[in-house]
Amino acid sequence: MNKEFSVIGKSVIREDAFDKVTGKAKFADDYKFDEMLYAKMIRIKATHAKINSIDFSEIENQKDIYVITANDVKGKNLVGLIKHDQPIFCNEKVVTPGDVIAMIVGEDEDKLEHLAKKVKVNFTPLPTLTDPTKALDPDSVLIHPEEKSNLIIHHPLRKGDIEKGFSESDEILEQTYTTQLIEHAYIEPESVIAIPKEDGIKIIGSIQNPFTTRRIVSLATDLPLEKIEVIQAQLGGSFGGKDDTMCILSARAAVASLKTNKPIKIKYTREESILESYKRHPYILNYKVGYTKDGKIKAMKIDILADGGAYCSMSPFVTWRTVVQATGPYEIENVHTDVRAVYTNNPYTGAMRGFGSPQPIFAQESLMDEIAIRLGITPDEIRRINGYKNGSVTATGQKLQNHDVNILTVLNKAVALTNFSNKWKEYKKEKSVLNEYEFEKPILKKNKFIDPKKLYQKGIGLAVSFRGCSLGAEGLDETYCYMSIEKNGLVKMLTGLAENGQGLRTTLIITAAETLGIIPDKIQFLETNTSLIKDSGPTVASRGTIMGTGSVKNAAEILKERLIKIVKKGFHLDDNDVIDFRENLVFSRKKGLLTNFDFVCQLALEQKENLTAIGYYKSPEVHWNEHNGQGDAYFTYVYGCQVAEVTVNIGTGEVFLNKITAVHDPGTVINRLGALGQIFGGVTQGAGYGIFEEITHEDGMIRELNFDQYLIPTAKDIDEIKPYFVEGNDIYGGYGAKSLGEPTLELTAAAIANAIRNATGKRFFNLPINLEELVLGKKIRPQNLNRGSL
Amino acid sequence: MINLNCKIETPKNIDELLKLLAVENFNSKILAGGTDLIVGKIQGSKRFVDTELLIDINKIEELHKIDLIDDKIIIGASTTFSEIENNKIINEHLPLLKKAVSKIGSLQIRNRATIAGNFVNNAPCADSVPPLLVYNAELELISFGNKRTISLENFLEAPYKTQLQKSELVSKIIIPVPDKNIIGDFYKLGRRRAVAISRITLAVLCRIENNSFDDIRIASGAVTPIGKRFYEIENFTREKRINNDLLINLSQMLGEEILKITGLRWSSAYKLPVVQQMFYQLLNNIVIKK
Repeated sequence: MNKEFSVIGKSVIREDAFDKVTGKAKFADDYKFDEMLYAKMIRIKATHAKINSIDFSEIENQKDIYVITANDVKGKNLVGLIKHDQPIFCNEKVVTPGDVIAMIVGEDEDKLEHLAKKVKVNFTPLPTLTDPTKALDPDSVLIHPEEKSNLIIHHPLRKGDIEKGFSESDEILEQTYTTQLIEHAYIEPESVIAIPKEDGIKIIGSIQNPFTTRRIVSLATDLPLEKIEVIQAQLGGSFGGKDDTMCILSARAAVASLKTNKPIKIKYTREESILESYKRHPYILNYKVGYTKDGKIKAMKIDILADGGAYCSMSPFVTWRTVVQATGPYEIENVHTDVRAVYTNNPYTGAMRGFGSPQPIFAQESLMDEIAIRLGITPDEIRRINGYKNGSVTATGQKLQNHDVNILTVLNKAVALTNFSNKWKEYKKEKSVLNEYEFEKPILKKNKFIDPKKLYQKGIGLAVSFRGCSLGAEGLDETYCYMSIEKNGLVKMLTGLAENGQGLRTTLIITAAETLGIIPDKIQFLETNTSLIKDSGPTVASRGTIMGTGSVKNAAEILKERLIKIVKKGFHLDDNDVIDFRENLVFSRKKGLLTNFDFVCQLALEQKENLTAIGYYKSPEVHWNEHNGQGDAYFTYVYGCQVAEVTVNIGTGEVFLNKITAVHDPGTVINRLGALGQIFGGVTQGAGYGIFEEITHEDGMIRELNFDQYLIPTAKDIDEIKPYFVEGNDIYGGYGAKSLGEPTLELTAAAIANAIRNATGKRFFNLPINLEELVLGKKIRPQNLNRGSL
Repeated sequence: MINLNCKIETPKNIDELLKLLAVENFNSKILAGGTDLIVGKIQGSKRFVDTELLIDINKIEELHKIDLIDDKIIIGASTTFSEIENNKIINEHLPLLKKAVSKIGSLQIRNRATIAGNFVNNAPCADSVPPLLVYNAELELISFGNKRTISLENFLEAPYKTQLQKSELVSKIIIPVPDKNIIGDFYKLGRRRAVAISRITLAVLCRIENNSFDDIRIASGAVTPIGKRFYEIENFTREKRINNDLLINLSQMLGEEILKITGLRWSSAYKLPVVQQMFYQLLNNIVIKK
């Protein structure tokens, strides 16, 4: 493919950068309206309880205070993105502590805070289910009795003959890994305003997927879609987290607004946000791998259990990506995988950057290193033996074609950039250098004191992944772009995809600029409003670039063809002359420089030519057989390799991240600055997953309700991040651009875990590898949730 | 906007301040940096829930300076951590204090938070406390018509409790200039490299003569209910010859002392072995540097 571009691949400053750094950008909570009322949630301190009665008598006589309950929901009170199992207001029972029973609405937030305490909820606690491994026991508590079982979804995958594969293996390794509950930790807590309109309702909010929100608000209010206008305010981070929660908050605000006929604002504190919003799934992953003495993997049997928490949310899709990618990018003849998600009373889990991939990557990449160590080869060698090549067949039976299968290219590049193999051999420990301590004998014996020269141990580790782009067999995958050119040459464009802070608008502006041969400054991106454009699906699954550039390029190409006609007519050129648009100038192959872009747009007006177009892009067909997990799951894939270099303090368990080298093939890089930003952010978030972050709970009650306890990495926690792009060719997307947002995050924890193994000689099976995990081999935490400082 | 539901007064001098503090029927608190108080108030901490009046001392210049007078270093109560970190007198004479305050919170926190606020709040993990304890810091407390001096050690009572009376203000911290040949170090363990609440802090000052400890002072934070000196270990150590066995022995003694105070708590499984380990490492570093 021709990769000579004029704008694509350059570093372009984001179109929203100036507004954001100067404070001009308007986030949801910045919007205020006359007569606007606030809403305060009513919850109870219970993990699982039957609600007997709700007594509002102490506040009923309050002037201008409204009570909103399930009775005010004119449409359906049970909603959900896949399964309708989540109440907008819980009037019968709560199944997790974040559940909202009712709202009180009024103009003074402080007063509402005070009045909320006067609402008396009488409830009977029910037995709780917080251990997902017990969810499918025959005598288990049922979270949603109408579902008859706590099983949310089961994805089986069967390829080849697993028993034959094991019998052909020289060695078999079986290990179990676990991952933790993770909070998105977007900087902006949830906020939404519902404004009554003459004939419907308008919603402005920190919303990731305006069209999904519109659908849920429609379900709740019984208003048809066209009477609900959803506008996305500037979004202060999402990472997949402002979907279900924001849909439900929008529905609550809409219900209250329809009842009071006033604008209603809901804004969450950080504590409420962490309490109620969904999280990334904790997984329990059992892998049994058979391999030959030569390092060829013959069979992989995988059994994965995901804790879906109290509601279904995106669990079926999250775990579907897991089943497709669970083996990692390795060609294996015999694969037998079961992935299940179950209900519990824990905080519910759904979409988060990575979406079912960081968990299996941690397990599978740890396992690959263990196999390499057992065979006496290096981690890069075992991956070269088994890694995909062009034409390889995946666990789902899909032949990898129509793109550069670059897994070994990114691996080799990362290995070369870091001098990986030599360092790995140098740091390697034959046995664990970590102490073992006895709780009952806390005074250290003399031999337990660490020689100061050996306190710090260096390690290096790598991880690789392949990732299906966009939605795959999850569902319909298409995007739209409306584009028009004014007579002064100003281009206006609009897509059904949303800017979630990732820089999508700038990426799409660059794509249009490249196609039209103009500079990005001449393009204006219009606000995302569900009433102005057709639904282009959600902005998820790292699909913004691959799908968005497709429709933008299509719209720009339609317009460009018309512009060429206009030029030829206006300048009386031969039909076979070739017209080039470059940096706002227009050239003829035969006559050279003709004019500029703006003049052509004026000509269009004189020639009465239409300079508006609708671009469309549809993903190629994919196929899936849900009974055996076989099919072409995604139409194309991206590849990445990250190398972590760490220093471990074996006395304290601190892991210092000296350098993370991130080599990714995202297809064509559109905005270099944006792509680098994705790597810096994704690696940092992935590092938090590896060594710091965890939401824990005591019988469902969350401990870490704010950032004093939920620790995400700071700028000081990673010394250096070194990004490198391998731009593989692909026939899909606009200009061969694919995905980068999620691949950058999914590898880091696994690479760090392997580096810690290299540094200490000990394998860690449970994320995060925090201080206690490293020193004691387990997590310890207080049972009392109260804090001394309060 | 944050509504604190409190009156705020901003006295211009100490006299005005003491008069405000002397008013009996007001439940008042001194507001300096506010990095504990305001956060606690918003979180509904029972320590601040009855506070009706905040007395903002940021306009009072005398409380906000660092001086070297004769053989004493005087730090005004509302001096911020950033100011301490960047002060020449502190850098020259109190390196452990500089190191400790430079690791507190973030730059934004250090620009606001004050030294007196740190120990008046008296969280177990207050980072400036162990260095101040080994530097034998004394505090001047003033109230309308009264003044008293008290050692920091006696001032600290229990977690989040001190000897400070309702009408009193900590006006200054007085630290005797340490001998030139005193060496030492401060150690902090947090869960990350910035904006981290301490899991363990240790401060050691000592004088080494003829390969033995002529004088040693040891304090810890975050591993005991409040910041604490370990006199028994200090007394045991004096004039002992320095060798690896002694350093191990001292570390074990520290573990025993802490265990005596805290008993086996949920966090002991981690903190007890690690505090011994890191105290041993800290002593090694000090001895090697010498």
